[in-house]
Amino acid sequence: MKKIINVILSFALVLTTLAGCGGNNDAKGNANKEKEPNQESEQQDDTETKDELTLYTIMSTDPDFEDWLKNVEEATGLKINYIAAPTDSDTRQQKITTILSTGDSSVDVFEVNDEMCASFKNTGWLEGLNDTVMTEDIRDEFPVGYVADMITDDNGQIIGVPGYSGYLAFWVNQEIMDEVGVDSITNKEEFLEYMEKASGNGRFGYGGSWEKTYVFNELAQFVNMFGGDYLDWTNPKNKEAMEFLHMLVDEGYTPIDQIADKYEQMNPKFNDGKYGCLFMWGLGTDYSDAGMLGEDKIHMAMVPQFSDQKYIFTDSWSYVLNAASENKDAAVKFLEYMASKEGMEANYKAFDHYPARKDVAEVVVPDTDPAKEMYSRYANECVVKGRPMLPQTMEFITAMGTAFQSYIKDEITIDEFVDKAQEYTETYSK
Amino acid sequence: MKEKDLKRFIPWILILPVLLLRSFTTIYPIFKTIYNSFFDIRVLSGVDEFTGFGNYINIFKDDKTLATFEFTGIFVVVSMFFHIILGVILGLILNMEFKGRRFLRTIVLIPWAMPAVVTGMAAKWAFNNDYGLVNDFIRWFNPDFQLSWLIHKNTARIAVIIMDLWKDLPFFAILILSGLQFISNEIYEAARVDGASGLKSFFHITLPLMLKNILMLCIPFTLWRLTTFDLVYSMTSGGPGEDTSLIAYRISMEAFTNLNIGFAAALAVFLFIIMAVFSAVNLKLMNKLED
Repeated sequence: MKKIINVILSFALVLTTLAGCGGNNDAKGNANKEKEPNQESEQQDDTETKDELTLYTIMSTDPDFEDWLKNVEEATGLKINYIAAPTDSDTRQQKITTILSTGDSSVDVFEVNDEMCASFKNTGWLEGLNDTVMTEDIRDEFPVGYVADMITDDNGQIIGVPGYSGYLAFWVNQEIMDEVGVDSITNKEEFLEYMEKASGNGRFGYGGSWEKTYVFNELAQFVNMFGGDYLDWTNPKNKEAMEFLHMLVDEGYTPIDQIADKYEQMNPKFNDGKYGCLFMWGLGTDYSDAGMLGEDKIHMAMVPQFSDQKYIFTDSWSYVLNAASENKDAAVKFLEYMASKEGMEANYKAFDHYPARKDVAEVVVPDTDPAKEMYSRYANECVVKGRPMLPQTMEFITAMGTAFQSYIKDEITIDEFVDKAQEYTETYSK
Repeated sequence: MKEKDLKRFIPWILILPVLLLRSFTTIYPIFKTIYNSFFDIRVLSGVDEFTGFGNYINIFKDDKTLATFEFTGIFVVVSMFFHIILGVILGLILNMEFKGRRFLRTIVLIPWAMPAVVTGMAAKWAFNNDYGLVNDFIRWFNPDFQLSWLIHKNTARIAVIIMDLWKDLPFFAILILSGLQFISNEIYEAARVDGASGLKSFFHITLPLMLKNILMLCIPFTLWRLTTFDLVYSMTSGGPGEDTSLIAYRISMEAFTNLNIGFAAALAVFLFIIMAVFSAVNLKLMNKLED
């Protein structure tokens, strides 16, 4: 009897392992007919006549989210249920991918990042918005290059409404700059001078988050700064950029420890004065929360010019409409609002999201906002690019990050890294 | 139909709903997984074509997967080795008569009761060179100690195995303890009367009587090691590079992040075969012991 139980238990374990892997290969399968109950919000029962939609959002943990939601509901006349997206990027992407790829209609509108836009835009999972929301009269107010590169599919359909405009800004610690007597970092020479003076005694001139999926931003940024092309590793400038990063590690200007770091590890170190400068998205909420944001502490600065031009990346989280949605009218109404001046103003006031529309930014963002001046300078003085994404985005990002970590740890040579990078670019662009 | 035959059918009728549900939630996905493993299904690229054993061949061509196999093998063997050694020692300690034994038996299970994802996230910080409590503790004895555990291949692997042991070892020890309590004290008394030392009693009484129990425990514990996913997912994301990637983690990444359903299915079937073979060998060994 015991033997039988043993056998049954063992095989039950083995079988249940397999049970989760029978994925549906019908990527555009039928939508679920039943709507899942709202997981997060309990709304007032006064909305019987209101159109309803479900939003999958990354902002629900923001203290101003409830007020923002109420504001949007009042302005649109919609009842908006929301589902909180996981904070971990891998988990978030997995969940959204699963919902969209299975034709699940339980969510109508998602907030997705550039990586997801690049992956999803040509799959048919997202509804085109050219005729409904992103109409010609407002299209040019959004960053044109970004819209074309990131959220337009192969048929010319725009599949998202950018929720804000962000830059991979250059941040410096003014206290350290003052201490070491560096006034500005405008070019490679001054950057290296700062590295040399600021590094030592457990402090590093430059800090980053080089975890294999995060390092992509900095790799692409440095390739740009050197005048290279991230999607062409035969370009010698790319190699030069990678050797520069390796040199920063060799000279002790940046720590190799950061290959385990994501932003959640990098930012506390920056706040603690361990790093002299870095590249980071957003308006510095983490630094502000730590009381470190300010002209005399941590602040944005102009990107140094390493080659012929100053380069900077822009990004956004876009609102996208699930093609399987059963509430498309309500969703379009919501998206129209998010693309409008009022919607962007609400986003800016609640979440400090810099408006994606330049006409709105000019009106809504006060001149006293320190980001306004720097964002305006970034837009005017730099070559603004969307990040280089391929259809199989996450595989590409992970493979490149893994290869870079091997290179930085001297497990492979620069030539081997460059060969691998070119191979990955070709493989994942198919 | 005779009444006797009818009675024989009634239990089957009663469990039919459960059988149907189980067929849908387990049997169907298994066959679907095996079926998918013969197709090149890449959802993001819109590819869905028959590839025969192509996915299985690619398993052995893919560097990431080979690195995954390497660490999975190390993880399972090293972790199980220490589960057995330390688990038996801890089980013996918990079986001793001393003050506070009941309290110790209770608190020893706390790590096991914690969700692996929470353990992994805490471990990510615990092994951080600047803010981690592991290095902080070591610096009590060696103030100059500096080590970023999670950036080097070997130390990251050690850290993952340590966390796995920290989490699951107590449960293994408690199960060993339950086996120890079935050994009659009279046997030890008799051995003591015959002049056997404590060590002799352990090797000639405890260990032989516990061996079958240990082997039986090795089956689920090894299978759990083979299917470990959440710890590396939250602690290292398989990094640095792919050095701490486990098979179950790779399957999850291929299936749900990269949407390479066919390749993920082939990996799952491959894992299934490994687990089935291991279980069969272990059961055979147990039968041999019984004989």
